[in-house]
Amino acid sequence: MARISPSPRLGLLNRKRKDTLFAILLLLPTVYVLCKVFIYPIYQSAVWSLFKYNLTEPGDVRFIGWGNYLELLKNHDFWVSIDRTFYFTILSVAAELVLGFFSALLLNQSFKGRTFFRGSIIVPWALLTLVNGLMWNWIYQPGNGALSQLLHRAHLLAPDQNPVWLGNSDSIMNFVILADVWKTTPFMTLLLLAGMQHIPGSLYEAAAMDGAGFWKKLKHVTIPQLMPSVIVAVVLRLINAIRVYDILTVFTGDPTTSVSYLTFNNAFRYFYLGRSSAMAWLTTLFIILLIVVYMILLRRNSDTD
Amino acid sequence: MKSGVKWIGACAAGLMLLSGCSAAPTGSPAASSSASGTAAAETAAGSELDWSKINDPSLKGQEITLLWSNDKNNLMADTFAEFTKQTGIKVNAVSTDYNSLYNKISTAVMSNSSDIDVVEMDTIWAGQFLKGNFAVDLTNVVPPDVQKQFSPSSLESVKYDGHLVAIPHFSSTKHFYWNTELLARAGIDKPPVTWDQFREDSLKLKELGIYASAWSWKQAEGLVCDFVSLTSAFGGKFFDDNGKPIFNQGGGVQALQFMTDLVQKDKTVDPASLQWTENDVQNAFAAGKIAMMSNWEYMYPDLDDPTKSKVAGKTDVGLMPGEGGILSAAVTGSEGLAILQSSKHKEAALAFLNFVASKEFQLPFFQKTGNYPSLNELFQDSEVVNSDKSNHFSKIVNQYQYGYNRPNAPGYVTWSDALAAEIHEALVGNKTPQAALDSAVQKIESSQ
Repeated sequence: MARISPSPRLGLLNRKRKDTLFAILLLLPTVYVLCKVFIYPIYQSAVWSLFKYNLTEPGDVRFIGWGNYLELLKNHDFWVSIDRTFYFTILSVAAELVLGFFSALLLNQSFKGRTFFRGSIIVPWALLTLVNGLMWNWIYQPGNGALSQLLHRAHLLAPDQNPVWLGNSDSIMNFVILADVWKTTPFMTLLLLAGMQHIPGSLYEAAAMDGAGFWKKLKHVTIPQLMPSVIVAVVLRLINAIRVYDILTVFTGDPTTSVSYLTFNNAFRYFYLGRSSAMAWLTTLFIILLIVVYMILLRRNSDTD
Repeated sequence: MKSGVKWIGACAAGLMLLSGCSAAPTGSPAASSSASGTAAAETAAGSELDWSKINDPSLKGQEITLLWSNDKNNLMADTFAEFTKQTGIKVNAVSTDYNSLYNKISTAVMSNSSDIDVVEMDTIWAGQFLKGNFAVDLTNVVPPDVQKQFSPSSLESVKYDGHLVAIPHFSSTKHFYWNTELLARAGIDKPPVTWDQFREDSLKLKELGIYASAWSWKQAEGLVCDFVSLTSAFGGKFFDDNGKPIFNQGGGVQALQFMTDLVQKDKTVDPASLQWTENDVQNAFAAGKIAMMSNWEYMYPDLDDPTKSKVAGKTDVGLMPGEGGILSAAVTGSEGLAILQSSKHKEAALAFLNFVASKEFQLPFFQKTGNYPSLNELFQDSEVVNSDKSNHFSKIVNQYQYGYNRPNAPGYVTWSDALAAEIHEALVGNKTPQAALDSAVQKIESSQ
C-alpha cells in the first residue's frame, strides 16, 4: 500500500508535465510567427536606429550610436511635426471628450427613438479614415466646396472672399481636427454611454433628495462615477490620435504635419531606415510615457474607490 | 499554469535571441553586398551584354519577367506573344500600380532577388537606379545610332549624368491647353507664346470675371513639375556642372516670382490651385471654369466627349509658352524600361528592349494604352497618326522636341519634397521667392 501511494501522484505530475509540454509544442508555431513578424522587427528597428542606414546609399552603412537621435533632436522639421501632432492630439481629444460626454448624456435619457439614434451615431466612426478624409477634402474645396458655400449663404463670408482652406500647413491642422472630431466623437460617446449605464439610479435619487439640480448631479454624481470610463476613453483616443497619418495624406503633401507622416516618408519615400527607426522609437517613448501616466491614474482611481 | 507561462516566456526569449543573433548585422549586409556589388557591377554591365547577340538562338526558351504599371488590363499580351514567336523568349508581364512600383523594385534589389528582369523606370529614378546599382548601365551597350532614334525629350529622361539607364518606351511632357471660346470672349485670337503674354492675357480674362488658369500647386510632385517647366522657360538651371544647386539664382527665382505674382498680385489663378493636383485642374478645365492650363497627355479624347466634358470641341492644345530666347519648355514625364542587375536573363532582357524600341511594340502600345511613341520616325508614321483618336497628334508630339528633365539625381525624392514645401511657402505668401529658394538650396545641400 505504502509503495503504491506515491506512484499515482508521480503519474499525475508526469501527466501535468506532459500536458504542459504538449501545450508549448502547440503554441510554438504561433510564438515563432509572432516573434518573426512582430517582436523581431521591433528589435530590428531598435538596432537600425543606431545605424546610418540609407537604402539609397548602400555603400555607406555604418554604426553611429546615438547619432540619429541627436540629429533628430536638432531637426527643425521633426519638432514642427511633434508640435503639430500634439496640437492635433490635445485639441481633438478634448473636443471629442466634451462633445462625446454631452451626447452620451443625451442618449442616456429615455426618449422615443433612442435606439435608432444610438445606432446611427456609429456611422461616422464606421467610415474608413481615408474615406472620411476624401469626403472632408471635398467639403473644404475652395469655391464650390460645401464649407465655402455654407459660409457664403450664411453671409459669414463676403461674396468676393474665397479662402483656400487647406493652403497653409498650420491652419490645415484645425480642419483636420474638425474632420477627426466629426468622425471619432461617436467612439467617445459609446464608451462614456456604457460607463453611464453602470451608474446606479439610487445615487441620483439620493442627490435629488438632497436638493441637487442638473449641474450639481453632474458634478457630484455623474463625473466622479464616470472617471474610470473617461480615463480609458481618453487614453485610447490619445494613443490613436498621436499616430494621425492617413487623413493628412489626403489633405496635404506636407509631411511635417504629423510625426507619423514624417516617419513614413523618411522610411518608405526616402528610405532613411536608420533615421526613421529613431523617429519611430522617439514617438514610441512618448506613447509609453502616456501609458505609464494612464496606469498611475487608473491605480490611483481604483485606490480611492 | 504559472510554470506554463514561464515556459512560454523562456521560449519566446530564446526565439528572440535566435532571431536576434542575425539581426544586429542585418543592418550591414546590405552594405557588404553592395560595396562589393559596385566593383562587380561595372564589369558585369560592360562585358556580359552585347547588342549584336540579341538574336542569338541560345536565348530561345528563356523567360523574362517585366514589372510595370502602364498596362493594367494586360492589353499587350498579343504583342508580347508576337515577340515570343519571333525570338522564342517568353515575356511574363506583371502589372502593379505606379505608387507601389518603386517600393517593389527596391525591395527586389535589396533582397538580391532575380525574380524580376525588366522594370519600368520613371524619369526621376534614373540617378538612383544608376548610383544605387539597381539597373544595368546601357550607355555602351545600346549603339549610338539606336539611341539617336528616340525623341530628344524621351532619351534625356532615361539618362543620368550622361549614362543611359533605360530604353524610353513612351514619350510624355506637359502641354499647354486652352479654351478657345473663353479666349475669344476676352478678345484673344491666339494662345500666348511667351509667359509675359500669358500674364497679359490672364489679366484680360480676369476683367471678364474668368479665372485665366488653374494649376496643380498642392504641395506635391505636380508643383515641382510646373516649377521645372517655368524655370527652364526663364533660362534657369537646377544644378551647375559641379552638381551644386543653383535654382536660387536667375531663371529659378524669376520662375517662382512669376508663379507668386500670378497668385498673390494678379490673382488671375483659381485660388484652389494651392490645394489641387493635376486631376482637379483637368476637371475644372473640362467644366469650362478656367481658360488655360498646363497638363499631361491623355486629356483627349475625354475633353472632346460631350458626356464627360462641357467644353467638347472648344479646346485646343499646343506648345508650352517660352520666354526670351527659349521657344518652349515643358517638364518631361517620360519613362523607360531598365534591366535589373540581379537579372539572370540579361541578354534576353536586352533582346526585349530592342523589341520595345521598335514600331512593332510602340504602335500597338499607342493604340491600346494611349501612350505616345518615343521613336522620332513614328511621329510622322501614317499608321500611328491614323490610329490617333484625339485629332491633336501632331500638336502633342511637337512638344517632345522641347522637353526638360527634373534633376533625376539619386536624392531626387528627398529634394523634391523639400523644394515643394518651400515653393508652397512662397506661393501662400509666407516667404519671398528668393528666401524660399535659398532655404530649399540649404536643405538640399545639408541632405547631401
